[in-house]
Amino acid sequence: MSDQIEDRLKKLIVDTLALEDVDPASIETDAPLFGEGLGLDSIDALELALAIHKDFGVRTKENDEKNREYYYSVASLAQFIRDKQAEAAAADPA
Amino acid sequence: MPQDRQHDRFGALKRAIRQCNVVITVGLYTASMPFAYGMFAVLCFLWRKDERRRAQRLQRVTAFAYRSMHRWLTWLRITRFDHRQPLSGLPSGPCVVIANHPTLMDITSITAVLGSGTTVVKPALYRRRMIGPLLVGAGHVEGPGADPISTGRVVDEVVRRLAWGMPAIIFPEGTRSPPGGFQRFGRLAFEVACRARVPLVSLTVRCEPVYLSKEVPLFRPAHPTPRLGLGVLAVDDPAVVDHDSRRLRQLAEERYHSWLRELVPPSDRAYDPAAEEPECQIRSKTV
Repeated sequence: MSDQIEDRLKKLIVDTLALEDVDPASIETDAPLFGEGLGLDSIDALELALAIHKDFGVRTKENDEKNREYYYSVASLAQFIRDKQAEAAAADPA
Repeated sequence: MPQDRQHDRFGALKRAIRQCNVVITVGLYTASMPFAYGMFAVLCFLWRKDERRRAQRLQRVTAFAYRSMHRWLTWLRITRFDHRQPLSGLPSGPCVVIANHPTLMDITSITAVLGSGTTVVKPALYRRRMIGPLLVGAGHVEGPGADPISTGRVVDEVVRRLAWGMPAIIFPEGTRSPPGGFQRFGRLAFEVACRARVPLVSLTVRCEPVYLSKEVPLFRPAHPTPRLGLGVLAVDDPAVVDHDSRRLRQLAEERYHSWLRELVPPSDRAYDPAAEEPECQIRSKTV
């Protein structure tokens, strides 16, 4: 289950950002997504946030100081999604 | 050689005079700052009814101030810049203007020539209690800062300013260019041009010898007198790249790198990764 989110995220990154030369399996789970890692930029982060909202139902708040941490790597992003989904499940047990 | 020695002596003398002129200028500007600040704040308050008109008027005031500043600097031979130099091919309507960023004077010179322009300001400066309200009044936009998601707000705000009819001036490197090279271009300016469907104007800024770069500070003026010049490298319609900001960035970045290759001898060039990549296949259309 836990690896599923990571795998889905990798595929989502490649599809959403149209990274034609990148195989989702080649994205390292702990490698940085921005800068020297996958080389994504802030506009990519924005597109990714919209795609995550659409696919996982998790909304990324604007001006949240932790966004940089959440979007650091596939692993941190998957943890962010898991936490938000758990929060939503706790708030609405039905 | 005695002639060389004489030349050196005059050079040292000129440099010392220029240094004195810089000190005088900084002193005068510091002394007149409260008055200028007060005037700007009063205008900002008086024109508060219409956000768009206030921004347009205050930007014209800013451009006038920058023109006066450059006239003063030219008169004192601290730098040479003529804001009346023609920039051929500039679109008459709103557009996104990008430029390399070799000196702190590029924003003042570009605004002086364009006559207006909204810019993206660093959050630390934008949130200063004294300066922030004036930047808001003049229609400038707070930058995204550390949060990558807030870029969406910045894009929307700049697109809104373009709809007001003013150009947006954005330095895609985000910080000053290293000597003889470029930082990697961010995508904000290109995304804005694609979303607003306005032309992208690529300007070149040259300051020779370089002054007010990270290496040459204010109180160490360059010798001989730095000459500041602007040029239009290209005007691109985002439709040519199907409003794809990635392709538009690639196009612009490669164009700047090839401009630099023609300008700077290989020995003086900073490491340029783009020079090792194959040429871009995208064709541009001048609008």
